[in-house]
Amino acid sequence: MDNDDWESCSDNDVYLKDRNEDDDEEDCYSSGFVSTLQFRKDISKALWIDDLAKAEVVEKKGKMWVTMGTVCNGSTYCSIEETLFLVEIGALHVLDQNGVYLSLKELYEKLSDGKSGCNWELFEAYRHLKSLGYVVGRHGIPWSVKGQKIKSGTCSLKSSQESNELLEMEQENKNSIVELFNNMWITEVTPAFHVYLPNSKFRKSSPGDPSFILCMSRGNPPSRVEIEAVERKHGSIPLKFCHIENGRVSFFSIAKVYLGFGNFEPAYEMPPAP
Amino acid sequence: MKPRWKGKGSKAKASADPMSKIVSQLQSSLIQTKTCGLLSSCSVLVEVDTELADLLNRACFGRPRITAEKDKQWFQLDMEETFYLCFSLKCLQVISEDGSIKSNEELWEYFKSKKPVFPISYKAYSHLRHKNWVVRLGLQYGVDFVAYRHHPALVHSEYAVLALPEGDNDLNVRLRVWSDVHCTVRLCGSVAKTLLIVVVNSNGLGANSPSCLEHYTVEERTITRWNPEQSREDQRGLQNQTKEGIL
Repeated sequence: MDNDDWESCSDNDVYLKDRNEDDDEEDCYSSGFVSTLQFRKDISKALWIDDLAKAEVVEKKGKMWVTMGTVCNGSTYCSIEETLFLVEIGALHVLDQNGVYLSLKELYEKLSDGKSGCNWELFEAYRHLKSLGYVVGRHGIPWSVKGQKIKSGTCSLKSSQESNELLEMEQENKNSIVELFNNMWITEVTPAFHVYLPNSKFRKSSPGDPSFILCMSRGNPPSRVEIEAVERKHGSIPLKFCHIENGRVSFFSIAKVYLGFGNFEPAYEMPPAP
Repeated sequence: MKPRWKGKGSKAKASADPMSKIVSQLQSSLIQTKTCGLLSSCSVLVEVDTELADLLNRACFGRPRITAEKDKQWFQLDMEETFYLCFSLKCLQVISEDGSIKSNEELWEYFKSKKPVFPISYKAYSHLRHKNWVVRLGLQYGVDFVAYRHHPALVHSEYAVLALPEGDNDLNVRLRVWSDVHCTVRLCGSVAKTLLIVVVNSNGLGANSPSCLEHYTVEERTITRWNPEQSREDQRGLQNQTKEGIL
């Protein structure tokens, strides 16, 4: 074994081709995405309900409804991010309660006023994954709920543990949207979305466990303690962390590993404690 | 990431010559020869014969110094390496320039004075070495250490290691902002390494004596970039991506 130069014959000079997916400075100015927005003949229609901070779908066109919108007593409701996504791609027309069409501008305003439980970064993350075909749902909101009469108020803000119970909708619930939303920014890491793979045979009636839970990061990277707190709540479902800055959406995995003992046993990822 | 062996036969060589055995031989040989190191600033210099020189090289402790001396060779050890040999393997003694032997406690205090984060970085170093990984300083990659599964002549290092203290304190200076995460992950990727964070929790024990180390706990985490464009195909693909931490 030649020891003299092992330092230099190591990987000091190995600089693999930097496979960087973000060198898209040129791409964002290209018409690539715009050209994929087809002229749609079949445009769905929804009615925006301020009290619920959701759009109730009144006319469904196209196959996207299999993976979009939450079902409550047979009606389908879209969150602001779902609504905006569909309106941006020209697949949905939204009316207000007076029957007047809501412009994209007005919908951006609804996103920005903080009353719909969402914000620009969350919407960017949502849009990024949806455009790639992932099925994305807001954390804590069940895809499908059965129950009795709907009263005014939000459709659902409780955790998915209660997904099969009757959900009472009262005005208080709407305030808790804002509270939930405000609380999201207290810690550095908050579960935001449940994400399923694009080709999964997704069904709202039995979605199963998501492929991963997406956590948004606000200011700074999460601490180990914060990550562990979220992991503990979600058992074996992997987490991914999303950081958005300057319009760049980045995803990271921060996985716990155990480097193997011995002479070159592989390290392994232990399943999280139950 | 799987180990990237260098050339044919490297894996077999490594297999036939486990690092644990090499280190064990080094330990015996140092004890037998009653080798002492000379403390000089942040380095410790040891003068060794051919057999020990060979063992130091094979176990990847220290760097050889090229001198004109014929039958003896000089090696230069880093602080973590020194302390591992003195405190963990108990096979080396360190002498200061006045000839007095430095106890482990004295050495500990001395190294801490040179490098306040030494307790954390040492815990990470010894944690990996104890598992038979070869650990070298990783300054050239902007990290604390690089870890190899065996001798660097045989295998490329898979991990770029950052030793971080648990909690919010003055010693915790890396990865506090996202730009540092982006930077470090990207750099690691461009040299084909996975970023490994070794989080050291002192459990409130402080760092007054090396005996505190025993009760420090360690958690290993990898930070990897996930590309949603690439993982759409199947569940397995997604799991494999997540299992980038599986090595």
